[in-house]
Amino acid sequence: MPKRSRMSRALVRRETTAGYLFLLPSLFFFITFVLVPMFICIYTSFFDSNMGKDTQDVFIGFNNYKELLGDEIFLGALKNTLIIVVVSVPTVCIFSLWVASAIYDMKPALTSIYRVIFYLPVVTGSVAVTVVWKWMFNNYYGIFNYLSQGVGLTNQNINWLGDARYALWCIILILFTTSVGQPIVLYVSALGNVDQTLVEAAEVDGATNTQVFWKIKWPQIMPTTLYILVITTINSFQCFALIQLLTSGGPNHSTDTIMYYIYYTAFKLYRYGYGNAMGVVLMILIAILSAVQFRLGKSKS
Amino acid sequence: MRSQKSMAYRVIAMILVVILALLFLFPLYWIVTGSFKTGKEINSTTPVWWPSEWTLTNYETLMSKQTANLFDLSIPFSQYFTKDGEAIVFLSGPEVPAAIRWLLNTVWMAVAAMLLTCATAAMAGYALAKKRFVGRGLIFTLIVCAMALPKQVILIPLIREMSSLKLYNTISAVIYPIVGWPFGVFLIKQFAEGIPGEILESARIDGAGEFRTFTKIAFPMIKPGVGALAIFTFISAWNDYFMQLIMLTSTRNLTISLGIAKMQAENSTNFGLIMAGAAFAAVPIIIVFVIFQKYFTRGITMGAVKG
Amino acid sequence: MKKLLALLLVLCMIFALAACSTDPGTESEAPAGEDVAITLWTYPIGGWGNSETVKTLTDKFEAANPGIKVNVEYLDYTNGDDQVNTAIEGKKAPDLIMEGPERLVANWGAKGYMVDLADLWDDTDKNEVIPSVVSACFNAEGKCYEYPVCMTAHCMAINLDAFKKAGADQYLDLENLTWTTEGFINAVKALKEAGYENVAAVYCGGQGGDQGTRAIVNNLYSGTFTNAEHTAYTADSAENVKALELLKELDGVNFDASIVGGDEINLFRQGVLQMAFCWNIGAQTNVDNGNEVGKTNNGEEIVCMAFPSDDGKAELCGGIWGFGIFDNGDAAKIDAAKKFIKYMADGEGTADAVKASTYFAVRDTAEGNDLTKIYADDPVRTEYTKLMPLLGDYYQVVPGWAEARTAWWNMLQQIGSGTDVSTAVAEFVATANAAAGA
Repeated sequence: MPKRSRMSRALVRRETTAGYLFLLPSLFFFITFVLVPMFICIYTSFFDSNMGKDTQDVFIGFNNYKELLGDEIFLGALKNTLIIVVVSVPTVCIFSLWVASAIYDMKPALTSIYRVIFYLPVVTGSVAVTVVWKWMFNNYYGIFNYLSQGVGLTNQNINWLGDARYALWCIILILFTTSVGQPIVLYVSALGNVDQTLVEAAEVDGATNTQVFWKIKWPQIMPTTLYILVITTINSFQCFALIQLLTSGGPNHSTDTIMYYIYYTAFKLYRYGYGNAMGVVLMILIAILSAVQFRLGKSKS
Repeated sequence: MRSQKSMAYRVIAMILVVILALLFLFPLYWIVTGSFKTGKEINSTTPVWWPSEWTLTNYETLMSKQTANLFDLSIPFSQYFTKDGEAIVFLSGPEVPAAIRWLLNTVWMAVAAMLLTCATAAMAGYALAKKRFVGRGLIFTLIVCAMALPKQVILIPLIREMSSLKLYNTISAVIYPIVGWPFGVFLIKQFAEGIPGEILESARIDGAGEFRTFTKIAFPMIKPGVGALAIFTFISAWNDYFMQLIMLTSTRNLTISLGIAKMQAENSTNFGLIMAGAAFAAVPIIIVFVIFQKYFTRGITMGAVKG
Repeated sequence: MKKLLALLLVLCMIFALAACSTDPGTESEAPAGEDVAITLWTYPIGGWGNSETVKTLTDKFEAANPGIKVNVEYLDYTNGDDQVNTAIEGKKAPDLIMEGPERLVANWGAKGYMVDLADLWDDTDKNEVIPSVVSACFNAEGKCYEYPVCMTAHCMAINLDAFKKAGADQYLDLENLTWTTEGFINAVKALKEAGYENVAAVYCGGQGGDQGTRAIVNNLYSGTFTNAEHTAYTADSAENVKALELLKELDGVNFDASIVGGDEINLFRQGVLQMAFCWNIGAQTNVDNGNEVGKTNNGEEIVCMAFPSDDGKAELCGGIWGFGIFDNGDAAKIDAAKKFIKYMADGEGTADAVKASTYFAVRDTAEGNDLTKIYADDPVRTEYTKLMPLLGDYYQVVPGWAEARTAWWNMLQQIGSGTDVSTAVAEFVATANAAAGA
């Protein structure tokens, strides 16, 4: 950057002032409502802090963290969180790309209708959606048992949400239906904006559909894909309402995610310091993950 | 040969998409029809696909169960001066069914969060992308690291902080953490990188002030990104059940999803009532989405492709 | 256009300021003179969860006590505890709360958030209120964190039509509403053979309704949940382990982690289950599903029963509900709240307050108001009074009760997922006793 070296000191000052002025409103909210609580969270994680009017916080160093390493429920929650993210992010991306490519070149009205339909679970709201899903998964007369027995897949009722083998996958399925809406909308638009002249030229040269897709369309929708990866990862990490309303982490902690377990530790076990230590571990994990994702994205684009 | 194969694929794909669409449509269908069913049918153990008799009882119960003022306007910052830390109300709306107030609260929360986020993130993203200043790298690193952070992590400190700021149990306590969440800044920064430096340079040479340059030149160029952010923020605020759950307690401050979740009683859960509440919450936002979907999608697309 | 955008931005910033303020807390519209506004949070305790019913009660109180205004908020059992806890952290705890001693005395009281109500009791009161209720409301140091209003015995319920069809009614003593463990086992078997797939469900999820699962486990072989001094948990005794193993082995009884107490009640009313462990007079008289009193949704007859026991002496879990005051440091509000308690629990309003709860009074007279006749013309409740003498020890006041209850659910879930009963119970008792000791 040759221009930069020629910048006068006055200009640097002007840039700095302007930069911070533009940042000010955003930084105000970021610092007050994210950074400060984050630091308090780190600080409290070194204390034995419990609920109680007259209880004093006791400094205990890294004891909370040591306990975490031996806490099987925490490790299980960590595993569940990772399963949710690792399973749902790629499936959401692939599924939404597939649906989008199937509907984007239909008649505009038809495309709109499909787009709205796939977006419905997103806008219906998680509380409303879970009420319906809870009924569908019902152990005694839910539609899943009704259908699977009707088709002859099973001859016994499966307790979908009450069985540790299935409960997490039920949550992932519901999360999936509430997550694909936005990626589909994005992909439909991205595919519609692919440069048609390039596609036609390739077709004249005798490229197959698959080739056209990977060689021409895929690179052009790459930025959309990256954006989708980021928002889906964020959404999967934040999955809370589904768990709270459907299983409350059960049966036997098999659907606990770290987010839910923090809430549980704080408000069912009243152990604030311990909950905060979990938060810090998650913070570090997520920071690493974001940094890696960001680097990857940067090097690719 | 190839075209035949691709025809077959297309037909299969069509059928699959139709089936999937029906599955995605089902929850809403079930909520809406369920809200008109009688107690007997909604509690039936074999699925009742279509109400045999349409009843408005559930909606009547929803509208009569609790009441609240349509709105309460209070003197800004007055909560810092009253003895009990409550703001002084100077104007209250007429008493209406609480569900209406909850819907209004939810709309207000989502819209305010959206506008504030877009305004602050647009300026900050622009500055991070186009201004060279000390500390820029550090701020950006912090933003990237905090971006995917779930709010549950800072739950307890946040409650205590809101309480000492006298914001606990106000809609603002839900709005501000959403605004502070740095994903928006990151997103806009990625868009603003695409603004050619020469254009900004020439504006400066023409004597335009910093803010003028931003509003006249930079903002129109990052508008698609702001559109994408607006939609994302609106939807995630609307669905941010967690923050609502921990921050709001009074009937008059609830959001619609919290209101519905609280309707489940001890001795019996009135599913008809819950369905009616869910339909009441979902239908308005779906209508908004159907009407505005063109703008929704146009905003997002151009942005994401360019970014 | 661009001007418009700039304007919009400025507007946003103004909105930001406005956002701080447009949501008030209470309607403290110009508190003239010495007016006090107090907040009451109630759990859905019968009609106390219904705003219309509560409004008539508070209106009467406000008319009798000018200068005091009562704002009521309604909690549910799924989120209620968490909301009270967050509110305590947010320093916005209510002034008054209505629930039972397991929450008020053993949890929030023990943690130091409640006001001692010992001064509300005079000697007459102590004589009027049933002794076991009095002792539940006081802690070991003699501090009172709850003033009781109403009570019930939690029982179970059976679908009499289904029992008759399966020929299982022979195991019931319908005169005294009791039955034996052996009768229970035979009844489950008979129902199962008669084609009822799901006879009963041990619901393993949720926050409320734990009394039902505790009572069935304790009664089957006369185990106890805590020691007599209410200082430690004894749920790992051989009797309890035997009972849990029986429930697990019994074909037709499911350990179901996907349902909570409220779901079990629904399933029972729907005719899916033939017994409900989570039952009481409130459930018996509830008609929210379009059913009749004491009938399932299909019109089959529901009979309230004591829990089956091997010695024929059932001990029912009590439910006690009353008011507690959170110490928010405002003497005027505490005084007003005490007046409210006096009015509702020991005064003119008591008869109505008890009636609204749909449960029974904890005393025969309140300041000269006779409470024995409030359900005189109510056959369902008259029948139910047969169960009231079976009330057992009110042990839900062991320290660390909230944590123990959470662990109890988890223990049931473990057993349901196949963990060995004695292992799961041992883990529960260890966790619960750790919480009790803390």
